[in-house]
Amino acid sequence: MTARDSDLDNPYGYAPEIWRLFRTAPNAGAFPPGTDGVVAAEAGTPAARSVLRLELRVDAGMVADARFRAYGCPASIAVGAYIAGWVRGRSMAELSTLKAGDLREALEIPEDRAHCALLGEDALRAVLARYSREST
Amino acid sequence: MIYLDYAATTPLDERVFDAMLPYLKPDGFHGNPASTHGPGFKARAAVEKARAQVAGLIGADAAEIVWTSGATESNNLAIKGALEFRGFPKNAKAAHIVTSRIEHKCVLDTCRHLETLGARVTYLKPDALGRVTPEAVMAAITPDTVLVSLMWVNNEIGAVNDIERLAPRLRERGVMLHVDAAQAAGKLAIDLKAVPIDLLSLSAHKLYGPKGVGALFVRRKPRARLAPQMHGGGHEQGMRSGTLATHQVVGMGAACALAMQQFDADVAHWRGLRDALWAGLRDIPGVLRNGPDGGDGEHRVAPHVLNLSFPGVEGEALRASLPAIAVSSGSACSSATAEPSYVLRALGRDDELANASLRFSVGRATTLAQIEQVAKTVIAQVAWLRELSPLPVPAVTR
Repeated sequence: MTARDSDLDNPYGYAPEIWRLFRTAPNAGAFPPGTDGVVAAEAGTPAARSVLRLELRVDAGMVADARFRAYGCPASIAVGAYIAGWVRGRSMAELSTLKAGDLREALEIPEDRAHCALLGEDALRAVLARYSREST
Repeated sequence: MIYLDYAATTPLDERVFDAMLPYLKPDGFHGNPASTHGPGFKARAAVEKARAQVAGLIGADAAEIVWTSGATESNNLAIKGALEFRGFPKNAKAAHIVTSRIEHKCVLDTCRHLETLGARVTYLKPDALGRVTPEAVMAAITPDTVLVSLMWVNNEIGAVNDIERLAPRLRERGVMLHVDAAQAAGKLAIDLKAVPIDLLSLSAHKLYGPKGVGALFVRRKPRARLAPQMHGGGHEQGMRSGTLATHQVVGMGAACALAMQQFDADVAHWRGLRDALWAGLRDIPGVLRNGPDGGDGEHRVAPHVLNLSFPGVEGEALRASLPAIAVSSGSACSSATAEPSYVLRALGRDDELANASLRFSVGRATTLAQIEQVAKTVIAQVAWLRELSPLPVPAVTR
Protein backbone atom coordinates (compact mmCIF):
# COMPACT_ATOMS: atom_id res chain seq x y z
CA MET A 1 0.00 0.00 0.00
CA THR A 2 1.11 3.57 -0.59
CA ALA A 3 2.33 5.36 2.53
CA ARG A 4 0.56 8.45 3.77
CA ASP A 5 2.00 11.71 4.96
CA SER A 6 2.78 11.37 8.67
CA ASP A 7 3.81 14.97 9.25
CA LEU A 8 0.28 16.28 9.50
CA ASP A 9 -0.88 17.74 12.77
CA ASN A 10 -2.73 15.45 15.12
CA PRO A 11 -5.71 17.66 15.90
CA TYR A 12 -7.64 14.87 17.60
CA GLY A 13 -5.08 14.27 20.32
CA TYR A 14 -4.25 10.61 19.67
CA ALA A 15 -1.23 9.26 21.52
CA PRO A 16 1.85 9.99 19.37
CA GLU A 17 2.62 6.34 18.61
CA ILE A 18 -0.99 5.58 17.65
CA TRP A 19 -1.01 8.61 15.38
CA ARG A 20 2.33 7.74 13.75
CA LEU A 21 1.40 4.11 13.10
CA PHE A 22 -2.10 5.04 11.91
CA ARG A 23 -0.81 7.65 9.51
CA THR A 24 2.09 5.60 8.11
CA ALA A 25 0.67 2.08 8.55
CA PRO A 26 3.98 0.25 8.05
CA ASN A 27 3.58 -3.39 6.93
CA ALA A 28 0.03 -2.80 5.71
CA GLY A 29 -1.22 -5.09 2.98
CA ALA A 30 -1.04 -8.78 2.13
CA PHE A 31 1.51 -11.16 0.66
CA PRO A 32 1.05 -12.04 -2.99
CA PRO A 33 -1.16 -15.11 -3.40
CA GLY A 34 0.87 -18.32 -3.39
CA THR A 35 3.66 -16.95 -1.17
CA ASP A 36 5.28 -19.86 0.65
CA GLY A 37 4.91 -20.31 4.40
CA VAL A 38 2.14 -17.74 4.97
CA VAL A 39 -0.07 -18.27 8.01
CA ALA A 40 -3.05 -15.93 8.10
CA ALA A 41 -5.94 -15.37 10.47
CA GLU A 42 -8.22 -12.60 11.66
CA ALA A 43 -10.07 -11.45 14.73
CA GLY A 44 -12.92 -9.07 15.44
CA THR A 45 -16.28 -8.48 13.86
CA PRO A 46 -17.60 -5.69 11.68
CA ALA A 47 -20.41 -5.32 14.22
CA ALA A 48 -17.83 -4.27 16.79
CA ARG A 49 -16.49 -1.91 14.11
CA SER A 50 -13.09 -3.58 13.98
CA VAL A 51 -11.46 -6.47 12.17
CA LEU A 52 -7.73 -7.20 12.17
CA ARG A 53 -6.14 -9.67 9.76
CA LEU A 54 -2.55 -10.78 10.24
CA GLU A 55 -0.39 -12.59 7.71
CA LEU A 56 2.91 -14.05 8.91
CA ARG A 57 5.49 -15.57 6.59
CA VAL A 58 7.04 -18.33 8.68
CA ASP A 59 10.34 -19.96 7.91
CA ALA A 60 11.65 -22.76 10.16
CA GLY A 61 9.54 -21.64 13.11
CA MET A 62 10.63 -18.01 12.83
CA VAL A 63 8.58 -15.08 11.50
CA ALA A 64 10.44 -13.84 8.44
CA ASP A 65 7.97 -11.12 7.53
CA ALA A 66 4.47 -9.93 8.37
CA ARG A 67 1.59 -7.93 6.93
CA PHE A 68 -1.68 -6.67 8.36
CA ARG A 69 -4.99 -5.34 7.17
CA ALA A 70 -7.50 -3.65 9.42
CA TYR A 71 -10.94 -2.13 9.51
CA GLY A 72 -11.49 -0.01 12.56
CA CYS A 73 -10.56 3.11 14.46
CA PRO A 74 -7.03 4.60 14.36
CA ALA A 75 -6.03 2.72 17.52
CA SER A 76 -6.94 -0.67 16.06
CA ILE A 77 -5.09 0.14 12.83
CA ALA A 78 -2.07 1.17 14.89
CA VAL A 79 -2.27 -2.11 16.82
CA GLY A 80 -2.13 -4.05 13.55
CA ALA A 81 0.89 -2.08 12.35
CA TYR A 82 2.66 -2.48 15.69
CA ILE A 83 2.14 -6.25 15.81
CA ALA A 84 3.26 -6.72 12.21
CA GLY A 85 6.51 -4.98 13.12
CA TRP A 86 6.96 -6.68 16.50
CA VAL A 87 6.62 -10.26 15.29
CA ARG A 88 9.29 -10.04 12.63
CA GLY A 89 12.41 -12.01 13.59
CA ARG A 90 10.72 -13.72 16.54
CA SER A 91 9.99 -17.39 16.97
CA MET A 92 6.38 -18.56 16.77
CA ALA A 93 6.68 -19.72 20.37
CA GLU A 94 7.41 -16.15 21.48
CA LEU A 95 4.26 -14.70 19.92
CA SER A 96 1.98 -15.76 22.74
CA THR A 97 3.96 -13.54 25.12
CA LEU A 98 2.58 -10.31 23.57
CA LYS A 99 -0.52 -9.47 25.60
CA ALA A 100 -3.14 -6.75 25.39
CA GLY A 101 -1.52 -5.01 28.36
CA ASP A 102 1.80 -4.79 26.49
CA LEU A 103 0.04 -3.30 23.49
CA ARG A 104 -1.74 -0.74 25.64
CA GLU A 105 1.52 0.28 27.23
CA ALA A 106 3.50 0.44 24.00
CA LEU A 107 0.90 2.51 22.18
CA GLU A 108 -0.54 4.41 25.16
CA ILE A 109 -4.00 3.04 24.40
CA PRO A 110 -6.51 4.63 26.78
CA GLU A 111 -9.00 2.69 28.91
CA ASP A 112 -11.94 3.37 26.62
CA ARG A 113 -10.00 1.82 23.73
CA ALA A 114 -8.81 -1.26 25.61
CA HIS A 115 -10.79 -3.38 23.13
CA CYS A 116 -8.36 -2.37 20.38
CA ALA A 117 -5.51 -3.98 22.31
CA LEU A 118 -7.61 -7.09 22.91
CA LEU A 119 -8.28 -7.22 19.18
CA GLY A 120 -4.51 -7.42 18.64
CA GLU A 121 -4.07 -10.20 21.19
CA ASP A 122 -7.01 -12.10 19.67
CA ALA A 123 -5.55 -11.82 16.18
CA LEU A 124 -2.19 -13.15 17.36
CA ARG A 125 -3.90 -16.07 19.08
CA ALA A 126 -5.87 -16.83 15.95
CA VAL A 127 -2.66 -16.94 13.90
CA LEU A 128 -1.01 -19.23 16.44
CA ALA A 129 -4.02 -21.55 16.48
CA ARG A 130 -3.96 -21.69 12.68
CA TYR A 131 -0.21 -22.35 12.73
CA SER A 132 -0.46 -25.21 15.22
CA ARG A 133 -3.36 -26.74 13.24
CA GLU A 134 -1.46 -26.50 10.00
CA SER A 135 1.81 -27.82 11.39
CA THR A 136 0.30 -30.95 12.96
CA MET B 1 -6.46 23.68 7.06
CA ILE B 2 -9.53 23.84 4.85
CA TYR B 3 -12.64 24.80 6.82
CA LEU B 4 -15.83 23.17 5.55
CA ASP B 5 -17.91 23.32 8.69
CA TYR B 6 -19.85 26.53 8.13
CA ALA B 7 -23.06 24.85 9.28
CA ALA B 8 -21.45 24.47 12.71
CA THR B 9 -20.38 28.07 12.83
CA THR B 10 -19.12 30.82 10.56
CA PRO B 11 -16.26 33.23 11.09
CA LEU B 12 -17.24 36.81 11.81
CA ASP B 13 -17.53 38.76 8.57
CA GLU B 14 -14.93 41.54 8.52
CA ARG B 15 -17.70 44.09 7.90
CA VAL B 16 -19.63 42.80 10.91
CA PHE B 17 -16.49 43.07 13.01
CA ASP B 18 -16.08 46.69 11.91
CA ALA B 19 -19.67 47.47 12.83
CA MET B 20 -19.25 45.95 16.30
CA LEU B 21 -15.93 47.53 17.18
CA PRO B 22 -17.13 50.99 18.26
CA TYR B 23 -19.41 49.32 20.81
CA LEU B 24 -16.52 47.46 22.43
CA LYS B 25 -14.15 50.40 22.82
CA PRO B 26 -13.97 52.07 26.21
CA ASP B 27 -14.57 55.46 24.61
CA GLY B 28 -17.40 54.13 22.49
CA PHE B 29 -21.06 53.61 23.03
CA HIS B 30 -20.92 52.02 26.43
CA GLY B 31 -24.30 53.19 27.70
CA ASN B 32 -26.94 50.78 28.91
CA PRO B 33 -29.62 50.65 26.19
CA ALA B 34 -32.24 50.79 28.95
CA SER B 35 -30.87 54.00 30.46
CA THR B 36 -32.66 57.29 29.92
CA HIS B 37 -29.78 59.63 29.20
CA GLY B 38 -27.52 60.50 26.27
CA PRO B 39 -25.23 57.43 26.25
CA GLY B 40 -28.22 55.17 26.94
CA PHE B 41 -30.20 56.67 24.06
CA LYS B 42 -27.22 56.19 21.73
CA ALA B 43 -26.94 52.53 22.63
CA ARG B 44 -30.71 52.16 22.35
CA ALA B 45 -30.64 53.62 18.84
CA ALA B 46 -28.00 51.07 17.81
CA VAL B 47 -30.04 48.22 19.29
CA GLU B 48 -33.19 49.36 17.49
CA LYS B 49 -31.37 49.73 14.20
CA ALA B 50 -30.10 46.17 14.59
CA ARG B 51 -33.59 44.96 15.48
CA ALA B 52 -34.89 46.41 12.22
CA GLN B 53 -32.03 44.76 10.32
CA VAL B 54 -32.86 41.32 11.75
CA ALA B 55 -36.56 41.87 11.06
CA GLY B 56 -35.71 42.88 7.50
CA LEU B 57 -34.04 39.57 6.72
CA ILE B 58 -37.16 37.58 7.60
CA GLY B 59 -39.96 39.94 6.58
CA ALA B 60 -40.96 40.79 10.15
CA ASP B 61 -41.61 44.02 12.05
CA ALA B 62 -38.83 45.23 14.34
CA ALA B 63 -41.16 45.02 17.33
CA GLU B 64 -41.47 41.27 16.73
CA ILE B 65 -37.79 40.60 17.43
CA VAL B 66 -36.68 39.57 20.94
CA TRP B 67 -32.93 39.37 21.59
CA THR B 68 -31.57 36.20 23.17
CA SER B 69 -28.17 34.59 23.69
CA GLY B 70 -28.56 32.30 20.67
CA ALA B 71 -30.82 29.75 19.03
CA THR B 72 -30.68 27.38 22.01
CA GLU B 73 -32.15 30.04 24.25
CA SER B 74 -34.63 31.10 21.55
CA ASN B 75 -35.85 27.51 21.23
CA ASN B 76 -36.13 27.12 25.01
CA LEU B 77 -38.02 30.40 25.33
CA ALA B 78 -40.38 29.56 22.48
CA ILE B 79 -41.29 26.06 23.59
CA LYS B 80 -41.32 26.41 27.38
CA GLY B 81 -42.66 29.95 27.16
CA ALA B 82 -45.60 28.97 24.95
CA LEU B 83 -46.64 26.13 27.25
CA GLU B 84 -46.16 28.05 30.47
CA PHE B 85 -48.16 31.00 29.20
CA ARG B 86 -51.08 28.58 28.87
CA GLY B 87 -50.76 27.56 32.48
CA PHE B 88 -48.54 24.50 32.04
CA PRO B 89 -47.68 22.56 34.12
CA LYS B 90 -49.98 23.74 36.93
CA ASN B 91 -53.23 24.20 35.06
CA ALA B 92 -52.72 22.45 31.76
CA LYS B 93 -51.45 18.93 32.32
CA ALA B 94 -52.85 17.83 28.97
CA ALA B 95 -50.48 19.98 26.87
CA HIS B 96 -49.32 18.19 23.71
CA ILE B 97 -46.38 19.15 21.49
CA VAL B 98 -45.62 17.85 18.01
CA THR B 99 -42.01 17.86 16.86
CA SER B 100 -39.65 15.55 14.95
CA ARG B 101 -36.94 13.07 15.84
CA ILE B 102 -34.28 14.99 13.93
CA GLU B 103 -34.65 18.39 15.57
CA HIS B 104 -31.61 19.99 17.15
CA LYS B 105 -30.79 18.63 20.60
CA CYS B 106 -31.90 21.87 22.23
CA VAL B 107 -35.44 21.30 20.96
CA LEU B 108 -35.45 17.58 21.77
CA ASP B 109 -34.02 18.10 25.25
CA THR B 110 -36.47 20.92 25.97
CA CYS B 111 -39.34 18.64 24.94
CA ARG B 112 -38.00 15.82 27.08
CA HIS B 113 -37.78 18.17 30.02
CA LEU B 114 -41.41 19.17 29.51
CA GLU B 115 -42.37 15.49 29.36
CA THR B 116 -40.96 15.07 32.85
CA LEU B 117 -43.39 17.80 33.94
CA GLY B 118 -46.36 16.03 32.34
CA ALA B 119 -46.43 17.25 28.74
CA ARG B 120 -47.11 14.78 25.97
CA VAL B 121 -44.77 14.97 22.99
CA THR B 122 -45.07 13.32 19.58
CA TYR B 123 -41.69 12.88 17.90
CA LEU B 124 -42.47 12.42 14.20
CA LYS B 125 -40.26 10.17 12.12
CA PRO B 126 -38.94 11.92 9.01
CA ASP B 127 -39.12 10.33 5.57
CA ALA B 128 -36.04 8.72 4.04
CA LEU B 129 -34.81 12.12 2.84
CA GLY B 130 -35.17 13.74 6.23
CA ARG B 131 -38.35 15.70 5.73
CA VAL B 132 -41.46 15.88 7.87
CA THR B 133 -44.42 16.54 5.61
CA PRO B 134 -47.29 18.89 6.51
CA GLU B 135 -49.59 15.85 6.20
CA ALA B 136 -47.61 13.94 8.84
CA VAL B 137 -47.76 16.93 11.18
CA MET B 138 -51.49 17.48 10.68
CA ALA B 139 -52.20 13.79 11.31
CA ALA B 140 -50.47 14.07 14.70
CA ILE B 141 -52.52 17.07 15.89
CA THR B 142 -54.94 16.35 18.74
CA PRO B 143 -57.37 18.66 20.55
CA ASP B 144 -54.69 19.08 23.25
CA THR B 145 -51.94 20.13 20.84
CA VAL B 146 -50.57 23.48 21.94
CA LEU B 147 -47.52 23.79 19.79
CA VAL B 148 -45.74 22.36 16.76
CA SER B 149 -41.97 22.86 16.75
CA LEU B 150 -40.20 22.03 13.51
CA MET B 151 -36.89 23.07 12.03
CA TRP B 152 -36.93 24.75 8.63
CA VAL B 153 -33.58 23.32 7.52
CA ASN B 154 -31.98 20.29 9.11
CA ASN B 155 -28.48 21.08 10.36
CA GLU B 156 -26.92 17.74 9.44
CA ILE B 157 -28.37 17.03 6.02
CA GLY B 158 -29.82 20.33 4.81
CA ALA B 159 -33.29 18.87 4.19
CA VAL B 160 -35.93 21.60 3.92
CA ASN B 161 -39.33 21.16 5.52
CA ASP B 162 -42.30 22.59 3.67
CA ILE B 163 -43.05 25.21 6.30
CA GLU B 164 -44.79 27.46 3.74
CA ARG B 165 -47.48 24.80 3.25
CA LEU B 166 -47.63 23.71 6.89
CA ALA B 167 -48.01 27.12 8.54
CA PRO B 168 -51.41 28.13 7.08
CA ARG B 169 -52.87 24.73 7.95
CA LEU B 170 -51.80 25.06 11.58
CA ARG B 171 -53.12 28.61 11.68
CA GLU B 172 -56.47 27.29 10.50
CA ARG B 173 -56.47 24.74 13.31
CA GLY B 174 -55.41 27.33 15.89
CA VAL B 175 -52.18 25.52 16.78
CA MET B 176 -49.05 27.61 17.38
CA LEU B 177 -46.06 26.99 15.13
CA HIS B 178 -42.47 27.45 16.25
CA VAL B 179 -39.75 27.12 13.62
CA ASP B 180 -36.05 26.74 14.35
CA ALA B 181 -34.54 28.71 11.48
CA ALA B 182 -30.93 28.73 12.68
CA GLN B 183 -29.80 26.97 9.48
CA ALA B 184 -32.39 28.56 7.22
CA ALA B 185 -31.82 32.30 7.72
CA GLY B 186 -29.70 33.70 4.92
CA LYS B 187 -29.93 30.37 3.06
CA LEU B 188 -33.63 30.35 2.13
CA ALA B 189 -35.86 33.32 1.38
CA ILE B 190 -37.99 33.85 4.49
CA ASP B 191 -40.99 36.16 4.42
CA LEU B 192 -42.98 36.08 7.63
CA LYS B 193 -45.51 38.50 6.14
CA ALA B 194 -46.53 35.69 3.82
CA VAL B 195 -45.97 32.63 6.03
CA PRO B 196 -48.02 32.57 9.27
CA ILE B 197 -45.35 31.28 11.66
CA ASP B 198 -45.86 32.33 15.28
CA LEU B 199 -42.35 31.92 16.67
CA LEU B 200 -39.04 31.65 14.81
CA SER B 201 -35.54 31.16 16.24
CA LEU B 202 -32.41 32.72 14.80
CA SER B 203 -28.71 32.58 15.58
CA ALA B 204 -26.09 35.17 14.61
CA HIS B 205 -23.04 32.94 14.39
CA LYS B 206 -24.52 30.77 11.65
CA LEU B 207 -24.58 33.78 9.35
CA TYR B 208 -21.24 35.49 9.89
CA GLY B 209 -22.29 37.29 13.06
CA PRO B 210 -20.86 36.88 16.56
CA LYS B 211 -21.41 33.91 18.83
CA GLY B 212 -23.50 34.48 21.93
CA VAL B 213 -26.41 36.35 20.39
CA GLY B 214 -29.62 35.26 18.73
CA ALA B 215 -33.20 36.31 18.40
CA LEU B 216 -36.71 34.99 18.66
CA PHE B 217 -39.38 36.31 16.32
CA VAL B 218 -42.64 36.59 18.28
CA ARG B 219 -45.60 37.44 16.07
CA ARG B 220 -47.72 40.42 17.11
CA LYS B 221 -50.74 39.89 14.85
CA PRO B 222 -52.16 37.59 15.98
CA ARG B 223 -50.21 37.95 19.16
CA ALA B 224 -48.06 34.97 20.15
CA ARG B 225 -47.81 34.98 23.91
CA LEU B 226 -44.94 33.61 25.96
CA ALA B 227 -44.07 33.30 29.62
CA PRO B 228 -40.53 34.62 30.20
CA GLN B 229 -37.80 32.15 31.09
CA MET B 230 -35.40 34.82 32.35
CA HIS B 231 -36.91 37.00 35.05
CA GLY B 232 -35.57 40.43 35.84
CA GLY B 233 -36.04 43.99 34.72
CA GLY B 234 -38.74 43.32 32.16
CA HIS B 235 -36.54 43.97 29.14
CA GLU B 236 -37.63 42.89 25.66
CA GLN B 237 -41.32 43.49 26.31
CA GLY B 238 -41.10 41.39 29.43
CA MET B 239 -40.13 38.27 27.48
CA ARG B 240 -36.40 38.25 28.14
CA SER B 241 -34.85 40.24 30.93
CA GLY B 242 -31.19 41.17 31.07
CA THR B 243 -29.11 44.13 29.93
CA LEU B 244 -28.60 43.87 26.19
CA ALA B 245 -25.10 43.20 24.88
CA THR B 246 -25.05 46.16 22.52
CA HIS B 247 -21.97 45.04 20.57
CA GLN B 248 -23.38 41.54 20.01
CA VAL B 249 -26.78 42.85 19.00
CA VAL B 250 -25.19 45.34 16.59
CA GLY B 251 -23.16 42.44 15.14
CA MET B 252 -26.24 40.33 14.58
CA GLY B 253 -28.00 43.27 12.92
CA ALA B 254 -25.06 43.92 10.62
CA ALA B 255 -24.81 40.21 9.78
CA CYS B 256 -28.50 40.05 8.85
CA ALA B 257 -28.27 43.21 6.76
CA LEU B 258 -25.32 41.69 4.88
CA ALA B 259 -27.10 38.36 4.46
CA MET B 260 -30.05 40.18 2.92
CA GLN B 261 -27.90 42.39 0.72
CA GLN B 262 -25.91 39.55 -0.82
CA PHE B 263 -28.49 36.78 -0.54
CA ASP B 264 -28.60 35.87 -4.23
CA ALA B 265 -24.82 35.94 -4.63
CA ASP B 266 -24.28 33.92 -1.44
CA VAL B 267 -26.77 31.22 -2.38
CA ALA B 268 -25.40 30.92 -5.93
CA HIS B 269 -21.83 30.70 -4.58
CA TRP B 270 -22.70 27.99 -2.03
CA ARG B 271 -24.82 25.96 -4.38
CA GLY B 272 -22.09 26.01 -7.03
CA LEU B 273 -19.46 24.81 -4.55
CA ARG B 274 -21.72 22.19 -2.99
CA ASP B 275 -22.59 20.81 -6.43
CA ALA B 276 -18.92 20.82 -7.46
CA LEU B 277 -18.01 18.84 -4.36
CA TRP B 278 -20.75 16.29 -5.03
CA ALA B 279 -19.66 16.05 -8.68
CA GLY B 280 -16.15 15.36 -7.44
CA LEU B 281 -17.14 12.70 -4.93
CA ARG B 282 -20.14 10.95 -6.44
CA ASP B 283 -18.01 8.46 -8.38
CA ILE B 284 -16.55 6.95 -5.22
CA PRO B 285 -17.99 3.42 -5.40
CA GLY B 286 -20.99 3.04 -3.13
CA VAL B 287 -20.99 6.62 -1.79
CA LEU B 288 -24.41 7.67 -0.51
CA ARG B 289 -25.87 11.14 -0.29
CA ASN B 290 -27.84 11.63 2.90
CA GLY B 291 -30.87 13.86 2.51
CA PRO B 292 -32.43 15.40 -0.58
CA ASP B 293 -30.38 15.80 -3.75
CA GLY B 294 -30.93 19.49 -4.34
CA GLY B 295 -33.62 19.39 -7.00
CA ASP B 296 -36.58 21.76 -6.70
CA GLY B 297 -40.03 21.02 -5.33
CA GLU B 298 -40.07 17.77 -3.43
CA HIS B 299 -36.30 17.66 -3.11
CA ARG B 300 -35.48 21.05 -1.66
CA VAL B 301 -32.20 21.22 0.17
CA ALA B 302 -30.28 24.09 1.72
CA PRO B 303 -27.54 25.34 -0.59
CA HIS B 304 -24.59 24.96 1.78
CA VAL B 305 -24.74 21.35 3.06
CA LEU B 306 -23.58 18.04 1.58
CA ASN B 307 -23.81 14.96 3.79
CA LEU B 308 -22.30 11.70 2.53
CA SER B 309 -21.83 8.17 3.86
CA PHE B 310 -18.89 6.07 2.72
CA PRO B 311 -19.62 2.33 3.02
CA GLY B 312 -16.66 0.13 3.81
CA VAL B 313 -14.71 2.62 5.90
CA GLU B 314 -14.86 3.11 9.64
CA GLY B 315 -16.08 6.56 10.70
CA GLU B 316 -13.41 7.53 13.18
CA ALA B 317 -10.59 6.37 10.90
CA LEU B 318 -12.16 8.37 8.08
CA ARG B 319 -12.24 11.54 10.15
CA ALA B 320 -8.69 10.98 11.37
CA SER B 321 -7.57 10.48 7.76
CA LEU B 322 -8.60 14.05 6.97
CA PRO B 323 -6.73 16.04 9.64
CA ALA B 324 -6.29 19.05 7.37
CA ILE B 325 -10.00 19.35 6.58
CA ALA B 326 -12.42 20.66 9.21
CA VAL B 327 -15.72 18.84 8.66
CA SER B 328 -18.35 17.35 10.94
CA SER B 329 -18.33 13.60 11.31
CA GLY B 330 -21.30 11.38 12.09
CA SER B 331 -19.00 9.00 13.92
CA ALA B 332 -19.76 8.06 17.49
CA CYS B 333 -16.35 9.26 18.67
CA SER B 334 -17.20 12.82 17.68
CA SER B 335 -20.46 12.95 19.59
CA ALA B 336 -20.89 13.61 23.29
CA THR B 337 -23.17 10.59 23.64
CA ALA B 338 -20.85 8.07 21.91
CA GLU B 339 -23.60 7.26 19.44
CA PRO B 340 -23.50 7.70 15.70
CA SER B 341 -25.65 10.51 14.29
CA TYR B 342 -29.26 10.16 15.50
CA VAL B 343 -30.37 12.15 12.48
CA LEU B 344 -28.94 9.68 9.97
CA ARG B 345 -30.26 6.74 11.95
CA ALA B 346 -33.74 8.28 11.90
CA LEU B 347 -33.42 8.38 8.10
CA GLY B 348 -32.92 4.62 8.13
CA ARG B 349 -29.13 4.50 7.80
CA ASP B 350 -27.60 1.72 9.89
CA ASP B 351 -24.98 2.42 12.54
CA GLU B 352 -22.10 1.70 10.16
CA LEU B 353 -23.30 4.18 7.55
CA ALA B 354 -24.25 6.80 10.12
CA ASN B 355 -20.80 6.38 11.61
CA ALA B 356 -18.99 6.63 8.28
CA SER B 357 -20.56 9.92 7.30
CA LEU B 358 -19.19 13.40 6.78
CA ARG B 359 -21.07 16.67 6.64
CA PHE B 360 -19.38 19.20 4.38
CA SER B 361 -20.74 22.73 4.61
CA VAL B 362 -19.45 25.56 2.47
CA GLY B 363 -19.32 29.28 3.16
CA ARG B 364 -18.45 32.71 1.83
CA ALA B 365 -14.70 32.14 2.00
CA THR B 366 -14.78 28.70 0.38
CA THR B 367 -13.11 28.55 -3.03
CA LEU B 368 -13.41 26.13 -5.93
CA ALA B 369 -9.70 25.31 -5.50
CA GLN B 370 -10.42 24.23 -1.92
CA ILE B 371 -13.32 22.07 -3.07
CA GLU B 372 -11.09 20.40 -5.67
CA GLN B 373 -8.41 19.78 -3.05
CA VAL B 374 -10.95 18.32 -0.62
CA ALA B 375 -12.47 16.05 -3.28
CA LYS B 376 -9.01 14.77 -4.22
CA THR B 377 -8.08 14.12 -0.59
CA VAL B 378 -11.34 12.40 0.33
CA ILE B 379 -11.19 10.14 -2.74
CA ALA B 380 -7.60 9.14 -1.90
CA GLN B 381 -8.25 8.53 1.80
CA VAL B 382 -11.43 6.51 1.28
CA ALA B 383 -9.55 4.37 -1.26
CA TRP B 384 -6.64 3.96 1.16
CA LEU B 385 -8.87 2.89 4.05
CA ARG B 386 -10.75 0.46 1.83
CA GLU B 387 -7.49 -1.03 0.60
CA LEU B 388 -6.36 -1.40 4.19
CA SER B 389 -9.59 -3.13 5.20
CA PRO B 390 -9.77 -6.94 5.05
CA LEU B 391 -13.52 -6.66 4.44
CA PRO B 392 -15.19 -6.26 1.08
CA VAL B 393 -16.90 -2.93 0.42
CA PRO B 394 -20.55 -3.64 1.21
CA ALA B 395 -22.94 -3.29 -1.66
CA VAL B 396 -25.42 -0.57 -0.77
CA THR B 397 -28.29 0.48 -2.94
CA ARG B 398 -28.63 4.20 -3.43
